[in-house]
Amino acid sequence: MWRALLLLAFCVAGPPAAWAQTLPTGPVSAFDGRVAVGAEVAATVGAEDHLAYFNYTDYEHNTLRMFRVALSASWQPVSRVVLIGEIRTEDLESVRPYAAYVRVRPWTRLRLDVQAGQIPPSFGAYGRRGYQGADSGLIGYPLAYQYLTAIRPDAAPATVADLLLMRARGWRTTYPLGSVDAGPGVPLISAFRWDTGVQLHWEAETVDVTAGVTTGTLADPQGSDNNDGKQVSGRIAVRPTTGLVLGASGARGAFLSRGVTRLLPDPDAPHDQSALGADGEYSRGHWLVRGEVVWSRWNMPFVGEPGRIANLDALGAWIEGRYRLTPRITVSGRADRLGFSRLAAGPGLTPTWDANVSRFELSGGYALQRNLVLRLAVQGNHRDGGRVRTQTFVAGQLAYWF
Amino acid sequence: MRRIQLLLVVCAVLISAHGTASRGPSVVNGTIRGRVELRHAPADLARRPNVGDVAMPRPHDATDRRRSVVYLEVAPRAAFDQRDEPHARLDQRNETFVPHVLAIVAGTTVDFPNNDKTYHNVFSLSSTKTFDLGRYAAGKSKSVRFDRPGIVRVFCDIHSHMSAFVLVFTHRYFAVTDDEGRYRLDNVPPGSYTVVAWNESAPTESRRIVMAESGGDVEANFALGRR
Repeated sequence: MWRALLLLAFCVAGPPAAWAQTLPTGPVSAFDGRVAVGAEVAATVGAEDHLAYFNYTDYEHNTLRMFRVALSASWQPVSRVVLIGEIRTEDLESVRPYAAYVRVRPWTRLRLDVQAGQIPPSFGAYGRRGYQGADSGLIGYPLAYQYLTAIRPDAAPATVADLLLMRARGWRTTYPLGSVDAGPGVPLISAFRWDTGVQLHWEAETVDVTAGVTTGTLADPQGSDNNDGKQVSGRIAVRPTTGLVLGASGARGAFLSRGVTRLLPDPDAPHDQSALGADGEYSRGHWLVRGEVVWSRWNMPFVGEPGRIANLDALGAWIEGRYRLTPRITVSGRADRLGFSRLAAGPGLTPTWDANVSRFELSGGYALQRNLVLRLAVQGNHRDGGRVRTQTFVAGQLAYWF
Repeated sequence: MRRIQLLLVVCAVLISAHGTASRGPSVVNGTIRGRVELRHAPADLARRPNVGDVAMPRPHDATDRRRSVVYLEVAPRAAFDQRDEPHARLDQRNETFVPHVLAIVAGTTVDFPNNDKTYHNVFSLSSTKTFDLGRYAAGKSKSVRFDRPGIVRVFCDIHSHMSAFVLVFTHRYFAVTDDEGRYRLDNVPPGSYTVVAWNESAPTESRRIVMAESGGDVEANFALGRR
């Protein structure tokens, strides 16, 4: 983190107009544009959060204190085939692949594409955006895509009490079944990992349909299969008028890993993650408004309570807006809520299986140049449980992309 | 007020008449012409690799980055004569700005019509002219008046591969090269001038030329870019 702080200090202290002009403004291309390389660097500085862990990711990084470098490339050897990939590092730790897939358009007259490999999610809208760069005025992520709930794919509670003990502790959970190591839970949909599989996309003038089969789930994307189950997901989007996009999504896939399911009395007991979503975007003039609702259900068998399979539901909803005040200054805001279903834990005792969370974020951005933006954000969080229930963060970010 | 305006018009006519008379009957304006060659043809602007796309991006027209602009560094006084509210047009078509290079005189209003089926958001952060037209749909057009001389780089906020240059001059002695790199500056009064050639992909170059009292053609060729 100190390296990120030093870098940010260096960047902000210097005369921006002078050095900014020497930075590339577009992708580096070769072979008549068949090869293109782009990059995105975002240095984010904010206060530590070692008590509440509101902004931690499934890679255990704080999104409000993160130095992220992403390098993406595409190679189009022939007109109907493209190879696409992206590698990322967060806080200058290990470099890992984020996307690596081939896209094929079998017929030139039909706008049907097949993608295979580590592919973008078919579900929802947020997960496919290059979010830290040009597209967003905000620094934080929506709760549904980032906030760590109390459940894990590699470890499971034996009883309802085991689960409730981990309420509001999604950043570090321990369970008796499966992995004995303490580890983070999962968000409803991971924004930091993409799944592996095959995807079909067809589009017409005002409608497009995407469907995919992958090895992991929305909450736990996988590079290779870990439970002999596949996820099926899809989205249909309509564009009734220019600037308006409305989407509806669905997904279902086996969630618990083999390390847990082999310990279940009935290994065939359902342990799926099912999800439904709706998303919308409208833009006009200097306005851009987006919103998304994600409902997720995990079927969780409790081995300590034979025959009991609980439906653990969660509902995430957020709406955000962006307005460009001047060509250089943009203001943005997001209101966000993540709620959980109730679980019978005893006579007259029906707590939510995880603590509900609310979040707002307000942000201002200043474009030093077209692809170099300085942002300042205030984020407020409230959780109905845990040691720290309410916390406000201030964060600054310098984001650059080409 | 009307009397003052009338007085100014009369004065202007008299000054203009004096200026013409003092040049004498044998003075003829000439033409500067030539060709701008680019040693390295600039590549088309590539799309940024977007790993979040789930389909082949729609094809867009190639950006003609070979166009150069040739202009006089210092222009004769007559070049500053104000014309009536000049207008120019920079289209957005097939996710490309057309033309890619537009040269105008200060005071020109440029229309930015959207001739695509998608939104565009034309903007510039150039110090010469900073503006943001917001998102507007097909068939709509918005305008910007360019009052200060300089180079304005124009982008689309939605399509990162779209860009254009607007070069704003205080005078009218400039020309954009044709498909073969040729240009022509007409009606140049006798005198000594510096002719400058600009292209987005190479450093500018200049030539000193002299336009004779008898007018005629003066040729000035340029080769831009590293050898």
